[in-house]
Amino acid sequence: MGVEIALGTALAAIGAGVAVGFAGLGSGLGQGIAAAGSVGAVAEDKSMFAQGIIFAALEETQAIYGFLVAILLLVFSGLLGGGEGLPTTVGLVAIGAGASIGFAGLGSGMGQGIAAASSVGSVVEDKSMFAQGIIFSALPETQAIYGFLIAILLMVFGGILG
Amino acid sequence: MADEISAVINQLGFSPETVIVLAILAVVIVGAVVVIIASRPVLDIYPYLNPIARVRARKGRLFNEKQLSEVIESSNIEEITNYLRGFPDYANHLDDYSLEKALDIQLAETYDLISKLAPKDIQDAFTVLAKKYDINNIKSLIAAKEMGLTEDETSNLLIPAGRLYSEIEHLADVNTVTDVIAGLDNTEYSAVLEDALPEYEESKMVLPLGSALDKYYLENLLKSSGIPSDENSQILYSYIGEQVDVSNIKLIIRAKADGLSYDKASSYVIADGYQLREWKLKDMMESEDVAGVISSLEGTDYAPTLGDSLSKYNETGSISVFEKALDEYLIEKAKSFSTRKPLGIGPILGYLSQKEREIKNLKIIIRAKREINFPISEIKEMLI
Repeated sequence: MGVEIALGTALAAIGAGVAVGFAGLGSGLGQGIAAAGSVGAVAEDKSMFAQGIIFAALEETQAIYGFLVAILLLVFSGLLGGGEGLPTTVGLVAIGAGASIGFAGLGSGMGQGIAAASSVGSVVEDKSMFAQGIIFSALPETQAIYGFLIAILLMVFGGILG
Repeated sequence: MADEISAVINQLGFSPETVIVLAILAVVIVGAVVVIIASRPVLDIYPYLNPIARVRARKGRLFNEKQLSEVIESSNIEEITNYLRGFPDYANHLDDYSLEKALDIQLAETYDLISKLAPKDIQDAFTVLAKKYDINNIKSLIAAKEMGLTEDETSNLLIPAGRLYSEIEHLADVNTVTDVIAGLDNTEYSAVLEDALPEYEESKMVLPLGSALDKYYLENLLKSSGIPSDENSQILYSYIGEQVDVSNIKLIIRAKADGLSYDKASSYVIADGYQLREWKLKDMMESEDVAGVISSLEGTDYAPTLGDSLSKYNETGSISVFEKALDEYLIEKAKSFSTRKPLGIGPILGYLSQKEREIKNLKIIIRAKREINFPISEIKEMLI
């Protein structure tokens, strides 16, 4: 016998998938880009390992935001049990919340990866560039934060967390 | 608001299942478009990220102004050797070879490393660039045999680097230039040298052989950079094309200064460069003198840089002022590529050119230090 899932809950599940899927994609691509630059730097200068890890870890945050939004959607939509299913319209809001952090995380992660890879190159050439490199690499984080905030607002005022 | 959305869905007559399918479809289509658009630039820069970090690490190890001043202020060759021992890039070969040879090996290793690091799309050009050391070794062999040097003296001239070294090393013990060429039978240079052999036999000068090798090298370089398909290959094409142009300009200026005829000079010129096409080169070669060559370059990027050096040439009568100006032009050009394409070929070209400049400057300083009481101010003037 199949599990009965309300349409709104099913839509929220799509939102959760989009949130973690696209944010994870951006985060993964960005981290891959930064890690490729870091490996090159470490190959030439072993003392770059710590800085390389820091620049490669920056892009993890987008996946974390997406993961958090996805978990909240799954818990509060009733998919993980403990509640009634969501109405269809609220489910559509959930897709919006997922898309908000998903796409913002995708762009932010990729941008941050490119900035971080370039910063690793600058730091390995001139160690005093570390602070400036971190600042430039942190800038693309803002887009993910906007996406995360809007996702939270949608969930709060769209009746998911309310 | 929620009721209105429900009403719209009901009015459209969609069943709940249809809404789910449409929502999934919309997400998939939007997602696919976003991923395709966003990943294109990433795919372009991805192959360059590792090489860029590696060359920038090496660029950071190049001498800064202060370090170069310390080398200039060294009182003798031993002091320079000891100073360079403090830098791992140079220290490796200083125990086994003379100072100049250690520097040549370092540069050859740099070219070899870049040819291995470079992304596949642009690798061919760097592989050809690395062959410069094979060509230099062949030229050394030919010159040594023409001068009748012994096996030890000839071996001493060879740079133990490049891809052909192990194959041509044994040619140090042959007796004549013709034997050297015969010994190169299985290499790509055999046909080029065979073609230039009659001219050598007629003139008994090694210049035609050396020039034929240079021409072969530059023509291969141009071919290897291929048809520019993206910004990276466009930059590579202009970098290599300008190297060919500069080589042509240097050759024509030298020919004019030595009073060589049009026929003699033209056979060593590469017919199609980057900014200097065949007709322009012909114009230059038909000029009366060096000043005429410079004025015929009007309208090209080389005119301002060479025009500035003309008055210095008129004072000194030495064509080295033009050669120095052209070397500096190429270095500045390579530096500008670093900023134009920082996540592509730029840093690779920038590093190669800076490394070459460092080695050339170190050699200038070493040569000056071999003279007694060579003024430091003059050394500084000679640096590129």
